[in-house]
Parts: sequence; C-alpha cells; structure tokens
Amino acid sequence: MIQESERIQVWRRAARSTAIVGGVFTGIFVALLIANLIGSAILGPSRENKLAAMKLQVQKDPTNQTLLSEVRQLDLKIRRDRIWRLDFAHKAAHMLLASVVVLLVAGKIAYDLGKVPPRPGHATDRGEIQVKEAKRARWAVAGGLAILAAGMTLVGISGSVEFAQAEEAGPPFASMEERLMQWPRFRGPGGAGVSAYTNIPTSWNGKTGENILWKSPVPMSGRNSPVVWKDRIFLTGADPNVRQVYCYDAKSGQLLWKGDVPTVSAAAKLEIMEDTGYAACTAATDGRRIYAIFPTGDVAAFDFNGRRLWHKNLGVPDSSYGYASSLETYEKLVLVQYDQGDGTEGKSKVIALDGVTGQVAWEAKRTLPNSWATPVVVQVEGKPQLITLADPNMVAYNPATGEEIWRAECLGGDLAPSPIYAGGLVMAIQPYSQLVAVKPTGQGDVTKTHVAWKMEEGGPDICSPVSDGTYVYLLESADLLICCRVETGEKIYEQEIKGDFRASPSLVGDKLYVLDMKGMMRIFQAGLEFKELGKCELGEECFASPAFADGRIYIRGAANLYCIGQAQ
Amino acid sequence: MTFLIAFLGSCPVTQGEIRFPPPEFESGYTFPQTTSPAPQSVLQEYIDAAVLVVGLLLASHLILKRRSRRAIFVLMIGALLYFGFVRDGCICPIGAIQNVTLTAFDRGYAIPIAAAVFFVVPLIFTLFSGRVFCGAICPLGAIQDAVLIRPVAVPGWLESGLRLFAYAYLGAAVLFAATGSAFIICRYDPFVGFFRLGGNWNVLILGASLLLIGLFVGRPYCRFLCPYGVILRHLSRLSKRRVTITPSECIRCRLCEDACPFGAIREPTGNWPEGEYRIAKRRLALFLVLLPILVAGGGWGGYALKSQLARVHPRVRTAERVYLEEVGQVQGTTNVSDAFRATGQTTEVLYADATRIRGRFALGGALLGGFIGLVAGGKLLVLSIRRRRTEYEADPAGCFACGRCYKSCPKEHERLKRIRETAAGRA
Repeated sequence: MIQESERIQVWRRAARSTAIVGGVFTGIFVALLIANLIGSAILGPSRENKLAAMKLQVQKDPTNQTLLSEVRQLDLKIRRDRIWRLDFAHKAAHMLLASVVVLLVAGKIAYDLGKVPPRPGHATDRGEIQVKEAKRARWAVAGGLAILAAGMTLVGISGSVEFAQAEEAGPPFASMEERLMQWPRFRGPGGAGVSAYTNIPTSWNGKTGENILWKSPVPMSGRNSPVVWKDRIFLTGADPNVRQVYCYDAKSGQLLWKGDVPTVSAAAKLEIMEDTGYAACTAATDGRRIYAIFPTGDVAAFDFNGRRLWHKNLGVPDSSYGYASSLETYEKLVLVQYDQGDGTEGKSKVIALDGVTGQVAWEAKRTLPNSWATPVVVQVEGKPQLITLADPNMVAYNPATGEEIWRAECLGGDLAPSPIYAGGLVMAIQPYSQLVAVKPTGQGDVTKTHVAWKMEEGGPDICSPVSDGTYVYLLESADLLICCRVETGEKIYEQEIKGDFRASPSLVGDKLYVLDMKGMMRIFQAGLEFKELGKCELGEECFASPAFADGRIYIRGAANLYCIGQAQ
Repeated sequence: MTFLIAFLGSCPVTQGEIRFPPPEFESGYTFPQTTSPAPQSVLQEYIDAAVLVVGLLLASHLILKRRSRRAIFVLMIGALLYFGFVRDGCICPIGAIQNVTLTAFDRGYAIPIAAAVFFVVPLIFTLFSGRVFCGAICPLGAIQDAVLIRPVAVPGWLESGLRLFAYAYLGAAVLFAATGSAFIICRYDPFVGFFRLGGNWNVLILGASLLLIGLFVGRPYCRFLCPYGVILRHLSRLSKRRVTITPSECIRCRLCEDACPFGAIREPTGNWPEGEYRIAKRRLALFLVLLPILVAGGGWGGYALKSQLARVHPRVRTAERVYLEEVGQVQGTTNVSDAFRATGQTTEVLYADATRIRGRFALGGALLGGFIGLVAGGKLLVLSIRRRRTEYEADPAGCFACGRCYKSCPKEHERLKRIRETAAGRA
C-alpha cells in the first residue's frame, strides 16, 4: 500500500515537473510573441507614417529620383519586416501550442494524482438549504431577465433611421428658392450675374477703409470668384503643386478652414499660361457641399466643415490656355463641361457627378474642341436645361439625364464668355465677332429655326454678358461697354469707359457694376442711356467677378478677399 | 490570458489583410487572378454524416454499456480532431439550426444534406441515449472539456440565471435565420477560429475568454450559451435510457456528490421548513399571473426593437447607410454603399425592401421577446415547484454524458471487479 502511494507520488512529481517545464516554455513563447506584437505595433506605424510622408513629397516632386529610391527602399524594408514577423509568429505559435498541450496534460495528471478522495460527512436534511437555493435561483433568473432587458434597452436607444422621414428631412441639396437668394456659383444663380438684393453699397474705399467690413488674406492665388452660402464664403487657390479650397466666415472674415485637393502624377507636367493660372475655375455649392475643380482635372467635394468627402481626377485636360470652365450644380449633381483638344479625339464631354458620392451619374460625349465657358442651368418653360458653349455649337442638355435637347451651330473661336438666359432667349458671345440669341424651345438642330438674332458688331473675348431681360450689356476687356436690346439685338449704345477688364459685369437693380483690373468698381445706370453713377476704389488688382449677398459685395483681390457693406 | 492573446496575435489569417499590401509603384506587377475554393463535394457530406452516425453509435455504447470515461475521452479527442481541426468546425448541429429554420421560411433555400443529417441525428440519439453528442462528438464541447483542469463548482442558483442567455441566443438565431438576415451562430462561433488557426479578432478573443474560463468552469459555452444544447436539454428529459451514476441501486454514500464538474448531479431532496408550502403556493399563483405579463412585455419590447433588430439584415444596413449619405447625415461613402450604387438600383427600391424586412422583424421581434418572457416565467414557475428525489442522480437535462461520475460510485467498482473476475475466470 505504501509502495503504491510512493509510486503515485513519483508520477505526480514527474507530472508536476513536466507541467512546470511546459509552463516555462509557454511563458517564453508568450513573451516572444508579445515582443513581436509590440515590435510591429511600435515600428510598423512609425515607418509607415514616414513612408506616407515621403510619398506626399513624391507627389510634389515626382522627378526626384533620390527620393523615389529612398521610398522604394523603405517600402521594401517594411515588407521584409512584416514577412519576417509573420513567419516568426507562425513558428512561435506552433511551439506555444505544443507547450500549452504539455502544460495542460501534465497539469491535469498532476492535479488528478493529487486529488484527495471525497470524505463526505454524515448526511443531514438539506431541505432548508434547498429552499434557499431555489429562492436564489429565482432571483438569478430575474437578474438574467433584467440583464437581457437592459441589453434590449441599450439596443433601443441606439436609435433608428426612419425612411419615412426621408421626404421630411429634405433632399441632399438646397431648394431652388434657397439658391436664388445665395451666390452658389460663378456669377450667382443661373450664372446670370444678377444680384437678388438691391441694398448693395455704392460707395467704398479700400485705402481709407470706408465701408470695408473686413479684409482677409487669401493663402494662394487664383482668378476664381467667391461663392457665398449664408455665412460661408468659398474660394480656391493653387500653384503648380498645391490645390486648396478656402472657407471664410462671412461675419468676421476669418479663414475657417482650408482643404487640400490631391492630384495624379500626370498633372505634374502641366503648364498653364499665367493669365489663366492654376485656379481659374470658380467653385460651386448645392447648399450642402462645396465642389471645386482645378486645371489638373481634379474635382473634390467638401462639407461645410472642411472635411473632404470625395476626390476624383477626370484625367488631365488638354486645354490650350488651361482649363477654366467653372462648375455648375443641378439638384445633387455636379456638372462639369470638360471639353478638350480639337474635338476630334473624342475626349470632350459633359460629366455629371453625384455630389454625395462623386460617382459619375451620366456622361455626354461630344465632338467639340476645348472651351472656357461655364455651363448654366436655366429653367425654360418650367423645365431645366443645361446650356453649354463650344465652337461652333450652343448645346442644351437635360441636366438630370444628360440627354441632348437642342443644338444650334452659331458660334466660333475660343469661347470664354459664358451664356446667359434672359428675356426668353439664351445669349452667347462669339469673341470679337457677335452676340447671338437663341430661343431655347426647340428640339434637335435648331440652327435654322430658333436663332432669334445676331448682333454682329463685335463682342468681348473674356467677360460674360449681363441682362435685365430688356437690355443686354457687353463688356469688352479693352474699355468698351455695349448695350443692346434683348428683343431684337439692336445696339443701343457703345461707350468707351477706359480700363482693362477681366471680371464680368453684374446687375444690381437698375445699376450696372463693372470692376476693372486695378480694382476700381464703376457703377453705371442701366437702361437706354449711358450714365456713370460713381467709382469705388479698392486699391488692389482684381481679376475675378464679384459676389453679391444681402447688403454686401465680396471681391477677391490679387491677395485679399474683401467684404464691402455698411456697418450695422 | 497572455498566452492566449499572444497565440491569437500569431494566427496568420488574422493578419492576412496586411500581409500583401498592393504594390506602391508602377513596377509592372500584375495581381494574381482571384480564385475561389471549389464547393464541397457531396461525397464529403455523406462521409461526414456517416462519421457522425458511427461516432454517436459508439458513444452510446461506451457511455451506456461500457461506462468507460477513458474510452469516451479518446472518442471525444478523435471527434475534436476530425470535426474540429480536419473539417474546420463546419458543419455542426449547432449551426444547422439556422439551415433548418431558413428552409422552413424560405422556399428558395435548399438545405444541404449534411446540415439536415447533422441537425436531426443527434436529436434522435438524444431521445434514446441522452446527450451523447455533447459528451463525445461535439467539437465545441470537446475543446472545452479538454482544457478543463481544475474544476470549480458554479452554484446551482447562478447556473439557473445564466442559462437564460442560451434561450435568448437560440431565439435570436432562429429569428435572424428565418428573416434571411444572418447565421449568427456561425458568425459568432467562438472556437471555429481555433480550428482554422485564424479568424475574426473579436470572435477569437471571445473564444479565448471562454477557454480561459473553461480551465476552471466546465464547458461554459455548452452550459450558458449553446442554442442546440437548449433543444437537447429538453429532449434528454424524454430519453429512454441515459447516464446513471450507479449501475445498480444508490446506497446514498455521497461519494459522487462533487464528481460532476458541470453541476449535473442532483442530490436527494430534503424536507421543507414548516410553513413553506403555504408560501410556495402563493408564490406559484403569483408566477402564474406573472407569466402572461412577462410574455406580453417581452413581445412588446421585441416589437419596439424591430428597426434595430432589422439592422442585422445586410439590405437594411445598406439602406440606412445610403439614406444617411443621401441626406448628408454622414460624410463619405463605404464599400457597401458604393457597391449598391454600382448596381444601378434606385434608392426607392432599396428603402422599400428595407421597410418590408422591418415588417418581418415586427412580428419576429415580438415572438422573440415573447419567447424570452415565456422562458423566464417558465423557469420561475419550475423553481417554485417542489421535486422529490430519494437518490443522487444525473440531471437528465444537464448531464453531458461524459462519464466522469462513474468511478466515484462504489457500486461501479464492484461491477468492474465482477467483470474482471469473469474475464479472468474465462481466461
């Protein structure tokens, strides 16, 4: 009997020793695996951050071969390290598994051999204990039920999405009525250049500060115009390497945020003439998001808090002076007139992007050459039309589907001025040549049927026209203001006003606002007779068209953004 | 704890997503063509079903005839290796609950042969032999049984409360399978990651936690979570033959009292204190009144959560994400919303689908809530009724038929001695 007991003790000691050895090995492999995990957790991110930073540098300087080589070497190092660590982890895990099995088996044997046989005492009546246990069990069931109920409550308070409220919450874009009261794109609603407000200042001075509510520097240059949505003003700026979107607070002029827009390596070789610049295109907003496009073909959307929602490169455009068409929006679509080359390569198209996702909603290919005009969405007899200009055509599309509605072959040359819709006519300028008016009520080719008139006594090369529905005003970049009758195209007057102009004219009530390159705003009486009402000096070069809001004008100078209005 | 975490961290598949990042440069590298594994052959399904039937026959024999814990343990390890590591823990009867449910609710779904066999056969064996499947064949039970080193007794009252979660899990699994939303039993199978040496991090951590607990608490998943175990518990009560601690008559020596690490040995009942009967009657009446209230309350709660429960369905999740993107309440898109838009379907169709699915969850949620209320109320009633037992016996519902208790009975030793003597006499 004693021998049997000793034999068990010997086996128990052996099992315990084996379990200890298994435990030690388990500890060693655990330590090695943890060290491996910590190593990859510490080294991995720091190296990857470094690699990401170097990649950003490559984007800015893609021809730097030394940098490229360093990036490749670091990338290789990271990959080798990952593979080594995975291999190590794999082998160590198998060893760990074996150690755990030894520990478990030996530990179990040692435990079983050391188990003391049960020695139950005298049996007693456990009725009272059993009653208490049953009571506890009932409480435990109640507790379990309470935990489940609490879990269900937690799930419940996570909220739910009610699709039924979709219509009540409103669509993902602002209504037409809201848009008409803002300045959501180049030259305001419909690209008409007409202010919804007439309480606009007629006197200010940038040097003395008269009626200058605030003035804020713009980080990077650009010839695009301000876009205004309630208390936010948006601009873009760029140089050959960096593209940015800016948002200013309308009350204080504070730069609220700036958002970077990336590009593709192919855009690095892009060279654009100085007069166009790298940020000629004006941004556009649908009241929910702000969209920007750059001559590199990069389109991006930001929310009003500066978070970039999506970015898309449409391919670097082939545009002889540099891409300059601004964006338009229709409902939640972002409309891009993307005409390129000479029109024979099939690269030109009008693209509609889903503003929420950036995905292409529709594309309309066309065999038209590069153009610099900005498309406009107008309401014709209650239906929307997207009007585009490209030599030699004026083409209208359904902005919801991209389906072509009509086209008129009536233009030519390098088309930079954008079309307008007033008095029931779409009016467009052929630079140095003519102003053409088309009735937008036709279908198909309307060249012979719907061209209302042509005023063939010249036309601006850059500035877009403006009209109050009765008269249309043209501003030639070299000091000529022309007024024609909308109904007939008859020229009313042609007046030399001295100055160089890049900004398009705007209409505020019965006043015509014309901003010259020196920053002098010239205010004229709209109507049959030419009459100058005043001049307001800003004291800074200006290329962009101004934006109008309630009691305010926003003007982008070469280096600053100005808010002009009467202090409250 | 640490070694399991380290082991989890070492699982190669868990790190698979960072293993081969796409190339960084235009180096001429071409991605290998994506391939999919071939579907499982029908022959393999038949083989699995045959192994299951043979295993259950053997288990029944070893448990009821030979009464050998050692042989059962060897069979259990064999089943763990085959159904767990060789067959990757799939298919198992626990997950087959969902296949069967989906078959009942979706005419377009054809249940695989193996799933049907795996669901039905263990139920049949349980009716005749008790829970032999749990004790010797189930790989999930086996892996927990194998790591049980130093059992600690869980108080019976606590076990009663914890078992409620298994019913809730069963109800949820049936609801989500019936609505075609998800097979949550498979998705959250805590041990399949170990069988496959890799898987979802969260589930691996859940499995590791259960195994750690399982070092001291016998089979925690089987006892407190397993939805199939819930069905087997109730069938096992009806079983014709099942595990008995003693091979003959109980002598009430109490040597088996602590022999079961799963708390499945019931002691003889004692006498209730004076006055307890009157209180018990009133309590029983109260719980009888409470039962319909719990069912109705649970049903109402489940109905109220229809939108949240429906979120488990991928179509509803997609609809909610797309909707939030459309109204600008969330920024950016996800792979799922991008994929939806790439289909060209309209959001109206998507929202209509989601609303219809939510409608199914209105009824399903109410049934689930009502079921949980019914189970809780039923348990309260059962715990208020006095049972009479004169012997130590294996709990017909809770016994996993592992055979651990046999050797604690002196009558079993007598039996074995007789067998040895008979064998020696023959020799």
